[in-house]
Amino acid sequence: MSALFRGLRDGHGFDALLALLALVYLLTFSAFPLIYNIVMSFQEVDMFSMADLVRPFVGLANYKALFASPDFWPILRNTALFVLLSIVFQLAIGFGLALFMQQDFPGATYLRGLFLAAWIMPALVVGAVWKWIFAGDFGVLNYFLSQLGLVGSKVFWLSDPAISLYSVTIANIWLGIPFNMILLSVGLAGIPKDMYEAAALDGANALQRFWHMTLPMMRSTLGAVISLGIIFTLQQFDLFASLTQGGPANASNVAQYWSWQLSFQTYDIASGSAVSCLMLGFVIVVAVIYVRSTRHEHRA
Amino acid sequence: MRNMKRLLAGALALAGSTVLASAEEVTLNVWTIDREEDPGYMYVMAKEFQKLHPEVKFNIKHVEFADWANDITRAVATGTAPDVAYVDNPNTPFLSSKGALLDISPYIKDSKVVDPSKIFPGPLSTVTWDGKIYGLPRGSNTIALYYNKDMFKAAGLDPDKPPQTWDELYETAKKLTDPSKNVYGLAFSANANEEGTFQFLPWIQSAGGNFDKVNGPGAVKALELWQKIIDEKLASPDTLIRGQYDSFATFNAQNAAMAISGPWELPRMSKDAKFDVGIALLPVPELGAKRASALGEGNNVIFAKTKHPKEAYEYLEYMYSQMPRVWNEFGFVPSYPVEVKDPKWPAEYAVFVESMKYAAARGPSPDWAKISKAISTAIQQALTHQADAQTALNTAQTTIEGIVSK
Repeated sequence: MSALFRGLRDGHGFDALLALLALVYLLTFSAFPLIYNIVMSFQEVDMFSMADLVRPFVGLANYKALFASPDFWPILRNTALFVLLSIVFQLAIGFGLALFMQQDFPGATYLRGLFLAAWIMPALVVGAVWKWIFAGDFGVLNYFLSQLGLVGSKVFWLSDPAISLYSVTIANIWLGIPFNMILLSVGLAGIPKDMYEAAALDGANALQRFWHMTLPMMRSTLGAVISLGIIFTLQQFDLFASLTQGGPANASNVAQYWSWQLSFQTYDIASGSAVSCLMLGFVIVVAVIYVRSTRHEHRA
Repeated sequence: MRNMKRLLAGALALAGSTVLASAEEVTLNVWTIDREEDPGYMYVMAKEFQKLHPEVKFNIKHVEFADWANDITRAVATGTAPDVAYVDNPNTPFLSSKGALLDISPYIKDSKVVDPSKIFPGPLSTVTWDGKIYGLPRGSNTIALYYNKDMFKAAGLDPDKPPQTWDELYETAKKLTDPSKNVYGLAFSANANEEGTFQFLPWIQSAGGNFDKVNGPGAVKALELWQKIIDEKLASPDTLIRGQYDSFATFNAQNAAMAISGPWELPRMSKDAKFDVGIALLPVPELGAKRASALGEGNNVIFAKTKHPKEAYEYLEYMYSQMPRVWNEFGFVPSYPVEVKDPKWPAEYAVFVESMKYAAARGPSPDWAKISKAISTAIQQALTHQADAQTALNTAQTTIEGIVSK
């Protein structure tokens, strides 16, 4: 008995205990809901059988119905576009800002801190602010554009089906830039300064230094930022809820919002689970890339 | 053995005493979307009822309207449903058809207060399922056409002759629209959720259709008119993503000359609108056509698993008996004919009471959420020209038939 306690206190037992605690936590709060969700996507579920585990098994019927839905492909396309555009612009602008803040100018660190303000704001608040900016009749953006003479008539940023997805994307890019910038700044700070000095002495210009030194050294950070970015973008729900609700006519609807609509607006929980299972599959692929890129980091 | 018996007897006595205690004092768990600080309907009612029945205690929980269906169904599934709750009227059949609610018909049979034949057909149909009654309306609301009399005069229109038919509505909206002054002719809501369906359904109903017959010629004509109103910018394109409350704000701000909405707007309107307001029944396809209006607000219900059905019913009955007050104090239109002394906003009150006679329920159907989604999808598809009105409504009809025939 006392051997067991000793083992727990300072032997491998303690390590095992710590690992076990983490494992139990993960199983309860991550694995269980995930598996529950997967199970639901193969069952017939309504609001009243939500608490049961035993429900009629319907095989792939939920998935088949999903693929047959006229909404499926447009929403998938919107989701891909939303993620792609968000990541590309968040990363490009975030990287640019990180490089800029890396320069030594007075107040650089404070300014970098200030950028985080956008990241701290709840997405619903951000949504409300962007709603005023984008408002068709009395929006700030339309006012500026017409004052500058750039547009002749009002642009209905949120209710024009050709534009609404891009409007939400712009708001999401704005929201994600600080996060990208901070993570990339941390990566940049990890690159030894003397390497740049040596390269500069050898005659490498700024562009060459960036291309041949900064980028390769940032590989693992970039991998991590991109995969986290994809996961966060796929989680972006509040902006859709506050700006367009996926409308008009699903023009700005994406998988994550659709899943919620199916489950909690039409109570078609099985289809909602099926959508989130498809997303889960995709996120797992991304997560594997993330894990691999951080593993690389450890080796370096 | 003897000890055992004594123990058992003791346990029984203990159990008995708790039963006695609970008979003396009863706590009703109540859910509502009202807010305590307003103070909302349910809080006021509970306080008054408690004065009459000091033995009944209340435990009232506020639930956000948007979370309501989620929370309540989860509570039913896990056996933690309240005793009494407010339910939005189109959601009531969903609960009664699943056996979640208490059938109160036996209580009503002996009641001196409740006479179901007096209740307006719209609200009555939402609490009825399979010939039994599962709740009592707390009040209703419906929609009508508000218009800005000053703008009518400025445009050379007679402020005492609001549009009565769809054609007149269109013509009037056209005359009142003035882009140079940022004025749209009409404000309403065609957004992709329940509100869009709520606003559109009366148009279908007065054209001879209903929720299960949405692709008739009248309904198509209605949707084409909506399309025309949006295409010609007689209403803001934001109508597609804006709820009724936000749309009505543009009417108050004189950026829309007419607006379709309900009595819930009155308190804000009397503060914000600095002009002479007129109100009229919803326009109909042509003079003499059947009138229709949407039915809003909801019912007080008792959940089937309640341990205190008698007290819960008494509470329901008390609330029901307070119908003459609901207009002045809470802004609901009475759900059965009552005499309201000195009503606030008398002109509006008269129109809404009149309009209540034509207010038809959404459904009733236990799958209302899915039907509603099919209708609002059709509206959005037509208004964004992803499909013409006929095709969009045909698709909706097929979906709805699939749901109804299940």
